[in-house]
Formats: sequence, C-alpha cells, structure tokens
Amino acid sequence: MIEIYVFQKRKYWFVFGCFTVFLLVLVGRLIKLMVFDSEELSKNALNVEQRERSIKAARGIIYDRNGIVLADNQPVCTISVIYNQITDPEKVIQLLSEKLDLEESEIRKKVEKVSSREKIKSNVSKETADEIREAGVAGIKVDEDYKRYYPFGNLASRVLGFTGADNQGVLGLESRYESVLKGTDGTILTLTDFRGVEIEMAAEERIEPISGNDLYISLDYNLQCFAQQAAEKVRKEKNAKEVSVILMSPKNGEIYAMVNVPEYNLNEPYELLEDYDTSEESQNDKLNNMWRNPVISDSYEPGSTFKIITATAALEEGKVKLDDTFSCPGFKIVEDRKIRCHKTQGHGAETFKEGVMNSCNPVFMEIGARVGAKTMLQYYHKLGLYEKTGVDLPGEANSIMHKLEKIGAVELATMSFGQSIQITPLQLLRAVSAAINGGNLVTPHFAIKSQDAHTEEVTTYQYETEEGRVSLQTSQTMRELLEAVVAEGTGKKGQVEGYRIGGKTATSEKLPRRSGKYISSFLGFAPADDPAIIGLILIDEPEGVYYGGTVAAPVMAEIFQNILPYLDNL
Amino acid sequence: MAVKAKTQVRSSGKTTGIRKDNQGKTKKMRPHTMDYSIVFLVLFLVGFGLVMIYSTSSYKGSLYYNDAAYWLKKQAVFAVIGIIAMFFVARIDYHAWVSKKWLPWVYYIGTLVLLGFTLIFAAVTHGSKRWISIGPIRFQPSEIAKVVIIVFLAWYISKYVRKLRNVKGIGIAFLLALPIICVVAIENLSTSIILLAISVIMIFVSTDKWWPFFLVGGVGAAIMALFLVTQSYRMDRIYTWLNPAESENGLQTMQGLYAIGSGGLFGKGLGQSMQKMGFLPETHNDMIFSIICEELGLFGAICIIGLYFVLLWRFMVVAINATDLYGSMIAVGAIAHLGIQVFINIGVVTNTIPNTGIPLPFISYGGTSLCFLLIEMGLVLSVSRFMRVKD
Repeated sequence: MIEIYVFQKRKYWFVFGCFTVFLLVLVGRLIKLMVFDSEELSKNALNVEQRERSIKAARGIIYDRNGIVLADNQPVCTISVIYNQITDPEKVIQLLSEKLDLEESEIRKKVEKVSSREKIKSNVSKETADEIREAGVAGIKVDEDYKRYYPFGNLASRVLGFTGADNQGVLGLESRYESVLKGTDGTILTLTDFRGVEIEMAAEERIEPISGNDLYISLDYNLQCFAQQAAEKVRKEKNAKEVSVILMSPKNGEIYAMVNVPEYNLNEPYELLEDYDTSEESQNDKLNNMWRNPVISDSYEPGSTFKIITATAALEEGKVKLDDTFSCPGFKIVEDRKIRCHKTQGHGAETFKEGVMNSCNPVFMEIGARVGAKTMLQYYHKLGLYEKTGVDLPGEANSIMHKLEKIGAVELATMSFGQSIQITPLQLLRAVSAAINGGNLVTPHFAIKSQDAHTEEVTTYQYETEEGRVSLQTSQTMRELLEAVVAEGTGKKGQVEGYRIGGKTATSEKLPRRSGKYISSFLGFAPADDPAIIGLILIDEPEGVYYGGTVAAPVMAEIFQNILPYLDNL
Repeated sequence: MAVKAKTQVRSSGKTTGIRKDNQGKTKKMRPHTMDYSIVFLVLFLVGFGLVMIYSTSSYKGSLYYNDAAYWLKKQAVFAVIGIIAMFFVARIDYHAWVSKKWLPWVYYIGTLVLLGFTLIFAAVTHGSKRWISIGPIRFQPSEIAKVVIIVFLAWYISKYVRKLRNVKGIGIAFLLALPIICVVAIENLSTSIILLAISVIMIFVSTDKWWPFFLVGGVGAAIMALFLVTQSYRMDRIYTWLNPAESENGLQTMQGLYAIGSGGLFGKGLGQSMQKMGFLPETHNDMIFSIICEELGLFGAICIIGLYFVLLWRFMVVAINATDLYGSMIAVGAIAHLGIQVFINIGVVTNTIPNTGIPLPFISYGGTSLCFLLIEMGLVLSVSRFMRVKD
C-alpha cells in the first residue's frame, strides 16, 4: 500500500495555503481598484464611453424695422460615412454619388478610408438628406444643422453680410452683432460603443442649445427695395460702375436704406458677380471688392455737396449773409493758381444765396477764405468729419484731411468746394444732417433692439447724439438755402411734386484728374422745413452726361417720390 | 457512521477498483456517492459562466453575427457535452484509466503526437498553430495536455513514489513531464506555464524534499529573467504591466481596469456593463472577470473568488481523504490547475501580474477548455467516490 504520508499532507496544506494567499492578494487588489481607485477609474471609463455631440444653436433672426425677416435659418444637413458601420460599400457609393451629384471616385476614397467618421458633404438640403436617410443604407450618417438663409437674396447684401462655414458672421451686421446673434450650442452626452455608435436606450444627458438673440434693425425693407431698384436702373442707364444710396433719419441717425449696386447674392456669397470679374486681381481681392461697403469703407472727394459744410461754417461765423454779393468771372485767382468755376463763362454778379443755388465755386472760395483755415477745421471737427461716424458696421474708414499747418490759400480754396479732402459718404451725410437738423450730430446706425428668443427680453440700443454743433438759426438758413437749390438752382431735377425738398448736387472728378471719371452725386432731404429723411446718391463713373444735377438728382427724386408718401409710417 | 456507510456501499453491490491496505493485502473497494458540493459548485460556475458570456458577448454577437446569443449557443453546446462527460467520467472508476501499464504511455505519446501534428499541420497549411480540426470539430490539444499530464503524473508518482525521495527521482519525474510542456510552449507559452506549474506542484507534494524546489524555483526565476531580457517583446509586456496608462499595448489593460473600477461596491447590475460595448477586447474570453467586476461589483467578484476557494478546499478534502496516492494526486493536480489558472487570470485582469492570455476556469468562453476541465472534474469526482469516510 502506498500511504499518503504526513509530510505529503503537510505539503498539501502548504500548496493550499499558497493558493489561499494568492486569492487573498487578488481580493486585496480588487478592493483597491474597486473601492479606493473606483472614482478615478469610473471617470476615465466614462471619458472613453461617453461621446459629446453638439446640438447647433439657431442663429438670431435679423428683422427690418417692420418685422420683415432679412436673415433667417434654414435646416440643412451634413452627410458623413462611418467606416465601421458600412456593410455594403458599393451601395453607399452609388447612393451618395447619385443623390449628392458627386464623383464616384471621390466618394469611394472617403468610404474606403479607415476612419471613425468621414464627412462627405455639408449644406445638403433637407429634402435630399431625407431621401438619403429613407434609403436606409447602413453606415451613412445624416446630421442636421442650420444654414443662414437670406429670403431676399441680394437685398442689403453689403449691410447684412453673411456667415461662414461654422455659421459665424463674416461681414456686415452678421459680423458686428456676432455676439448677439450667435447662440450657445447645446450638447448631448451619449454613451457609445467602441465605434462611437450611440447605444439605444442608454440614458443621455442633454444640454439644450440656446438660440441667438433676434436683431431688429432700422432698415426698411420697402425703402431699401425702392432705393435698390432706382440705383439698378440708373446704373444700367449710365453704365456706371457702382451706384450707392443711403437713406437716413437726420433726427436720430437710423439708417432706412443703404444700397450699393451691384449687390451680391447673400445665399451664394462666393459666387463672383460678372461686374467684379474684370480686373487682374486675385479671386480673393475680387470677392473683397464685391463684398465691401463703399459708403462706409471708401473715402472720396465729395465735391459740391461739401459746400454745405463751408456755407454752414461761414454763416455760423457770420462771415457771410444771404444777400452778400459776389462776382464770378468763371474762375478765381488764388495765389498763383487760376481755379475754375464749373461754368467757364462765369455766373457774373450774384448774391450768396444765388451762389449756393448756382453752386458757384468762386463764391465758396471766397467765403472759405473769409472763415480761414483754422476756424474751418474747427467746424470739420464739430461736424464729425475727423472721426468715424460710429455706424454699427465693421470696416469703417476715416477721412483724409490736410493738416492745419499745410493749408495754404490754394488748399483752403479747394477744400471750400469739396476737393483735396476725402471723406466717406456716410460722414458727409452725418455732417449735413447736423447742419440741417438744428445742430445735432447723430450716430448713424442700424441696430435698434435685440430680443432674447426665450425670455423675450428686449435690449434697446442707445446711440450718442451731440447737440448744439450748429446754431438753430444757421441750421434753418441752411435748410432754406438747400431748398432753394432744388426749387430753383442746380438741383431742380431733385424736385418732387407736392413735397418740399432740400438738396445739393455734386460732380466730383475722380483722381487722377483728367481721367474722365466722375462721381455724380446728390444729397437731398425732405420735408425741407423739418427734415425727416436725408438721402445721398453716388453714381460712380457714369457714362455720357455726368453732372450730378442731371444724373443723380432725378434718381433721388424718384426714390423720394416713392417713399415720401409712406414717411409718416416710419 | 462508518458502519452505516459501509452497509450502504455493500448494498449497492458494486465492486470496482482495487485497494491495498496498510498491511499490503488487497481488498475490494466500494464506491459511495460522489462529493456533491463539488458538483454543485461546478454546475453553478458553468451556469454563471453562460450568463456572463451572454451578457458580455450579446452586443458584439448582434453586431457581427446578427445573433445576440451567438457565443452563448456555442458555449452552451460545449457545456452540455462537458457536463455529460463529467458525470460519465465520474461514474467510471478512475483506476480504469491506468488499469493497464501501457495505458498512461498511450495518453502520453498520443498527446505528444497530437501536439506535434498540430504544429506540423499548421506549418503546412499556414493555419492556426493552436487548434486542430477534425471535420466540424475544432479543439485545442494543449487543453487535453493538462488532463493528460495530471493523470500521467498521478499514475507515475503513485507508482514510483519511493524513488522520489532523492533528487534524481525528482529529476526523472520532471523530465517525463518536460516534453509535453516544451511542445506546448512553442506556440502557447501561457498554457505551458500552467502545465509546468501543475507538474511542479504534483512532484513537490509527493516528495519529502523541500530544498530542491526552492533551489530550482530560484534558478527558474533567474532563467525567466534572462528569457524576458532576451525576448524584447516580452520585456515590452513587463513595461506595459508596470505602466499600463503610458504603454501603447496597455489599452486593453487600462480598459479592463476602467471596467473593474467603474463597478464599485455592488456593480452596475447584470447586463449593464459599458466596457463590453467593444471597448474592451476579449470580454467574453480572458477579460470576462473585469466585466463581472463592472456588472456585479466588488461584492460579486469576491463571491466568485469565494466559490473558487470553496472548490479548492473541496479538492483538498478529496486529496487528503483519497483512498490512494493516485487518486490523491489527481485531486492535487486539479488544485494546481484550478488555483494557478484562477490566480493568473484574475491577476492579469487586475494588472497584478503581467498580461498573458489564460481563460477563467468554467466561466470564460472556450469549448475545449471547458470540456476538458469538466472531464478533469469528473476524475476528481470519481476519486471522491472512493474517499475514506472519517470514523
């Protein structure tokens, strides 16, 4: 018999003891992992298991002053493929190339790429996306998103601006009010499997997106339409490069319309208009030219419309009276220069009032000289010509002025009728508004209020108005003078039957001189005794007749004719 | 009590096996009922394993095979076959397997041939070097090797136990086990470690010598170290073990730890594991314990370890009370097999020891492994039927 010896049994117990110790070590290890390290390990586990998916917040809507939607959101979809989930690659490729109108080879490359997720196309319309979704092919992921949509296409394109690929404002009001319009994206935290596929039935944490705030702007859809139509018409007639129109309230600076034709399509902002495809510049420069807003970003020599500033300064300083008489031989000798009047044979003897009505250069050279350079510049300051207007649009330019010590008699003379200085059209409009509205320097602006989409809480925007820049008396005189310009002077074609219109024409020769390129412009306001609207039209490089009084004034008259009946509704 | 038991046994009228008593006289042995606590523990663990396999593999099963029960079904078939085999083997007197002198050698040579054939066949067909296919049946010969080495060594030791009193005898016994261990080691190092441990433990308990084992253990550790230094990828494994978070290959380890850690005290509940959603590879296989931890918590994990402990303890009872050394050694082999495999598996999962692929006995997915383990249980149960009942 082979007995199990005592020493063997001792060894049995030794082995058993060893295993017991091993198991106790494991239990100890488990206690450490599952009790002491549990919190950190759970956190790490969740990191791996949970996937954050953002829910796009809708961007705030931009309304015109009457609540017409100018910029809206449209649901669009992004189509992507998930490699791990594709069961039938050929079917996926065929479906996507058919529905999305893309090259098969291009899709094949993405479908066959081993990646967690490959984007095929974004900004796919909801209908197309629904068709793809309904086809029910495994491995295709459709994500909904918002795309900015501009119902009126090119209306106020250079004012509104557009949004980029991430729905962020790129230009114009979209960019300026980005923080208002932009919402806060929400998130969905979902549990996913190793492929990143969400697990059905798993509880998800959801943080709702917060839509952006809606923006109400002073722009009036109807006025903008009228102005744009008129601008397009004259641009076509005169084969002009660009035509700009601004309509503004001289009382508070609210801009009713700001047109720069040709306007581009906001829904396809990267589609270059033919008119901008002429030069040798890079595509980027061409696009930038198309997108820029010249009435705030480009300065120009205002020409005769600037005589309003000179006249205001002279009247305010008491350097001239309406019935002071002047004589115009068709030119004025300043130092060694002979500076011509636009009427080469001269206006002959005329009062100051007649000089304004005739837009006679020698008269303004004379009164400019009477005011003097230093005082003149003080008035430029008072009328805001040394500062940006403060309009709520990005990319505003400032004026280009002579330094006081560089101003001689010749410079003073040319400045007096709006040459040798450069200002932006909006700066001119603001300065003239102050001259005719009783001396209040307003801040031109668009945004009136914003409204929280959820709480409906309204934030009203406040803008500065500097009062007393011009005396009431001078302001009234200016209104009368400018009404006379339209009634009987160079601005006759700016008349509108049944309304008292004030205004001033201008024809600026573009630099370099003698290039034969002009900017014809007309600045008008109505009613002349208590202006409720002030407008400026600039026709850049018209062909044929280029006098502001002939070309620009009738366009403004046409606009006024259309809009003045509705003025009370503004 | 003893008298009563004897009467019962007699009344059964069955006489199988031969036993020599202290005086060297032969005497008929009467089997009694098997150790039912082992039966229940094994059945529970197999059942629990099926539940956990379903829990861990259903997601991937429905994903890849459109069948949540894909792995469950396959494992259930093997479980049924294995349990039938276990009871069958348990009914057979364990001496029957070595009733002829040449029988153990048939197992021994047969296993070597099978292992060799698998290697050669794989080399020819460029197929898997661990599996062998006969028609639709695929199995791992290395799993058979575990049972064979236990039976063979138990037989050899019980026959030549007196020769094991010196180093030479120990060495010869060890050299006998070595061929199988080495052939397995060519392609499956982790299984060969199990085989080695089983052999060493069985020889260790059968001799009165202690020091050769500690000496060899020390030398073995030195060889191991040398092995690790020369085989850079296994050094990499050591690095991964020590710095799982930084290591490129530490992902599986870290995911396993995340699963364990996120279980907490009572777990997320059965079926609620997140890591089994494909983050953690081998969830129904070698890493199944981490999902047990995640779903059932520390409480569940300790319960499972407790079950293994009770099972080991029952094996101990069988080993000590076995009617002869051969039976006792079978039980010792089972202790060594089960103990070392549980320790390595849970040790790997908890990153207590370096990573190596060893299934968790009874629970992990794997048909061959489960079947032969159950056959081994059958052997132990057979031994338990001949246990001496205490007076």
